[in-house]
Amino acid sequence: MLVMIRLLFGAPYLNPKLHCFESHSKMPTVIALDVSLSMSRPVLTEASEEYQRRHFAIHGINTYLDVLSSTCKLEFVSLVAFSYLWEQLCTFTRDFGTIRTALNKVEAYSKTCFETALNGIRTLISDEWNNAPCQVVMITDGSLGIGAGSLKASLQTANSRQPSEKFPLPFNFPCKIHIVCIGSTSDPDVQRSLPYYQKLIDMAGYGGELFTLDGGISFKSVEDVFRRLAEKYFSQFWGTLCCGNFTCPVQLFPKPEPLVRDVDEERDTYNISDKIEIIGFLDIKDIGSPPTIARHLILPRSMKDRDREDGKGGDGKGNKPEEEEDSHDDGKTPSFTVLLHGGLKMESMVAIARIQKDWFGMIYSWADSKKKSNLMLALFEPGQLSVPWIGPFDQLTSCKEYAPETLYSDEEKKSPFPVRSADKHSYAYNCVVWIKPSGLQSDIQKVLRHARKLPDKLQQFYKELNRTRRAALSFGFHSLLEALAAMLERECTLLPGTAHPNAALQLTHSANFLLSEAATDATQNLTPLQTNFAAGSNG
Amino acid sequence: MFNPQLQRPSTRILSYNRVHIRHVAPLTAQQRASLPPMTVPLLQQQQCGLTGRPVKLSKPHTSSDSFLPNQLLCLLDDNQGNGVDISVSRRGLPLHECELVVVHSIPLDQEIRLNDRPLKELGPVLRSELTTSLSGRHLYNKLVYLCCRHYDLCSTTVTGIPMKEEQNASSSANYDVELLHPAAAHDDLFKSEHAEGLVIPSKEGLPIETAPLKWCTPKSSVVELHNCSAAYRICPVDVNSRPSSCLTNFLIGGRAVMLEQPRKSGTKVISHMLAAHGGEIFLHSIPSSRSILEDPPSISEGCGGRVTDYRITAFGEFMKENRLAPSTSGLLKRLEGAPSYAKAIDHLEKSSRFWPMVISETILFNIINSVTPLPQLMMKETLTEDEVIECKRVIYRIVGMETNNEALPVPAAGARGKGSKRDEQYRQLWAELEALVRSYSDTSSQHAKVLACLQECRKPPQPGAGDDVTAHAQVTLNRKLSTPGQGAGAKDVGKVGGAEVEQGWRELDRLQHMTEREKQDFLQGEKQTDAPPPKKMKSEDLLMRSGGQTLLSMWNNRLRTIHAKRAHEFDGRVDVDSDGKAKLYIHLEEINDQEQIAPTSTSAKKG
Repeated sequence: MLVMIRLLFGAPYLNPKLHCFESHSKMPTVIALDVSLSMSRPVLTEASEEYQRRHFAIHGINTYLDVLSSTCKLEFVSLVAFSYLWEQLCTFTRDFGTIRTALNKVEAYSKTCFETALNGIRTLISDEWNNAPCQVVMITDGSLGIGAGSLKASLQTANSRQPSEKFPLPFNFPCKIHIVCIGSTSDPDVQRSLPYYQKLIDMAGYGGELFTLDGGISFKSVEDVFRRLAEKYFSQFWGTLCCGNFTCPVQLFPKPEPLVRDVDEERDTYNISDKIEIIGFLDIKDIGSPPTIARHLILPRSMKDRDREDGKGGDGKGNKPEEEEDSHDDGKTPSFTVLLHGGLKMESMVAIARIQKDWFGMIYSWADSKKKSNLMLALFEPGQLSVPWIGPFDQLTSCKEYAPETLYSDEEKKSPFPVRSADKHSYAYNCVVWIKPSGLQSDIQKVLRHARKLPDKLQQFYKELNRTRRAALSFGFHSLLEALAAMLERECTLLPGTAHPNAALQLTHSANFLLSEAATDATQNLTPLQTNFAAGSNG
Repeated sequence: MFNPQLQRPSTRILSYNRVHIRHVAPLTAQQRASLPPMTVPLLQQQQCGLTGRPVKLSKPHTSSDSFLPNQLLCLLDDNQGNGVDISVSRRGLPLHECELVVVHSIPLDQEIRLNDRPLKELGPVLRSELTTSLSGRHLYNKLVYLCCRHYDLCSTTVTGIPMKEEQNASSSANYDVELLHPAAAHDDLFKSEHAEGLVIPSKEGLPIETAPLKWCTPKSSVVELHNCSAAYRICPVDVNSRPSSCLTNFLIGGRAVMLEQPRKSGTKVISHMLAAHGGEIFLHSIPSSRSILEDPPSISEGCGGRVTDYRITAFGEFMKENRLAPSTSGLLKRLEGAPSYAKAIDHLEKSSRFWPMVISETILFNIINSVTPLPQLMMKETLTEDEVIECKRVIYRIVGMETNNEALPVPAAGARGKGSKRDEQYRQLWAELEALVRSYSDTSSQHAKVLACLQECRKPPQPGAGDDVTAHAQVTLNRKLSTPGQGAGAKDVGKVGGAEVEQGWRELDRLQHMTEREKQDFLQGEKQTDAPPPKKMKSEDLLMRSGGQTLLSMWNNRLRTIHAKRAHEFDGRVDVDSDGKAKLYIHLEEINDQEQIAPTSTSAKKG
């Protein structure tokens, strides 16, 4: 049996550039608190009451949650306690109150063991967030643990493990690890531990920082260190949404992180600019469902936030009359974001926004549930052609540059998109595929079907016959021509008496041609026999 | 003899390579001598270039395997590894990388006597491997396998596609279609730890694994916006078989198909979507894991969320007018390298120069029928004489309306109960109109003419009133001011027309101290009778529907309705229901007091 190969692929059909890479913007946070016995060591303070390191740590976490609840209300935070074992005290939640409650119930257990904690965190993130990027805040007291489970021992053996007992770092998801050390930097134990902590952070490979107290342990120094952490790594992104003369100060949540991409051994870093500039609008059906690398909620910045910022500037605006503060009723001051959201939702459109040179995104109305919808910014991959069907972003222009009605018509569903690719794909061609016997069989059957309806299907018969013949020739499948000729001759003998005389003539003509020398010449075409039955050949 | 037609697929593979990897380079004469004869023409086709991967298809000339030049076999078998150096091509271009894949194909009735040689470094730039295959279907499978390996492809099988039978259109059967696509499309699928059982052997008999994903029949043809993390082009394994072309035609026709992960239990998980864009079919990856964006706040909870009268419909039109389109080559040429989107931004700027966001802040856009086509014409780059006349006609129309004291559609009372007095409304209308025209007046001298006409026609502004904007029109005119934030707009207005704001507030305060009756008279002005206010119409409706009322109340209602139609009810009678007594001129004293104070102390606010 002869089965011929037709190459599977047409012209270049895979665009290797359309490649997704990790975005670091979705960031659930894990607070990992060391609850080993060493955390229960008392701290000498001037106060009459005796406090343990644990109390300071809890105080610090509360400070951190305070900052978070004003800047990152939507952050998901989970609380994990670790010693020799680990336990998730509070699942991922936006309700920081439950974490505070859980903190109050923390008890003291055996010895510090970082590796267990890291293994636990890995399980949590991969189970719950499918390996989304995350941040971890580990709070410890400067002791590395003792014996086999100590951080020192873990790190020493990290590179010589069996695959089954692999050291948890680096995680198989991007993760920033911050370590807050509740201990006086003058304490020799603490000094000895810090390099190991730094090693741990470096192994994670996605940044993160080691935070130490300024001076001794006091409520103030602990508060400061946690505030420093929160302000540096859990700050808000503030920018401006512009659309022509409409401008609106906005916050993006989650905070966009710089994007790092390796191209040809070069490292490109893309930072989102604080001006999100709408360049125009597109119908949802035109943008399709484009690939995006990150999504951020666009929240209008409230007057209060802005006042607070102004106040921080320290130019004396802080002492403005109270009543004026109250007169900003945020809900009732019109905001462009709400207008834009309403328009986009009603018209099923998206806004295309430029966020940086060579980097674009789209703004649309997004609903998690049916009830609550909000304004969302989804970022395309940096570059011009990240959505091939709308063409290079820099080449998008207003339809007003042309006669708009010739481009768009809602009644006729007319639109200048999609931009068609110059490549034709094998599935778009009506090409002959004889990989499997069924392919060949169905093509021959098609010829025979038309042959039986001669002379009505004269044109179709010759079209299909030539198509099959050309394919046979290009595959070097010459024996197929003889087989075809035999089949057509047989059809001729089977013609019913009522058949049109032209049918027999055409069949014989075709069979003879297939057997002739000319049939193997790919440049020649088999044409219908010219007959006097003009009425019959109505094609 | 060797079949020359077989060259075609291999050539195609080569040209394909050239696109994927940057270039394919020719070999030197010595190198060519050391390679099988078939390979040479293939390499020669690639005239310039640096790296590449020729795939050579060969077939034994005789029953022996000796056709492969011994040099090549020796090279492949040579454990010493001191192979050929082909770092510079015939044309002097440096050759960076070359991977020669020889596919040795043997007729079906023969036995494969040659062993596969794995990929081996033959020198600094040349790698080579030999692989054998039976011809026909097996060769095809081998080639697909090589494609998958060389281009990092993997396979997805769409299962359970319902299709009508060719012969019997009323019955339908389920088919599976296998697709090839870049392997990255499965990243999300295998990221989770529950990935076991997600792949099965290829249903098309390819020597690769495939991930079966279940077809979900699309319910509507409405195009929705899905959250996709990536999109990859696909190609069916059996390109134009009936099930494949059924699927591809369905997709190219504009429908999107969601694909579901096979799960024995639990909820349905959609992991991919198939959709065509511009005739190309893409496999979209849909993230299925938990997102930090879940349960977001509603937009109505944020700033401006409780404002209910945004001009959403008008903004819809604004968006449609500012839809994007790809640039034509003519436009690109005209722009001389400048990005086209800048043009789109210009148009956006132009059409948003005067654009109140809420209905209650504008009168102009609530009587848009009376002012058409002025706003549209003003946005144009140039105005003809006729168009200027059109604009002027609109201005005259408004003058006429004001002379006749025609009622304006008063925006629903906003937060501060605005827009009450008729002439005040006209003042607002004029201010809006002027702000609109002024914002375009520097476009051309013709535009300036319209502004001049407007300024002539507008009533001389009241003493002390600013000539720019009124207190009630929030004007988005920060084009040149570039003030941060539209929220600051109200403040700007305060600065610009401070004196007028004061006046506006004073009038408003006075109005609030009047009785209903006085207000009506105050607003109706001179002897102009309007249609009864809609509020009163309602009470008539009430009468028709009133059930369970006493005869007296019905009679009173009826009387009230009749009187209300005629004129505003005498206050004494309006209030008679409440406590039987009505005080006349309730604010008389206060007003008298105020009028005495007002001229002396302008800072008096909200008595």
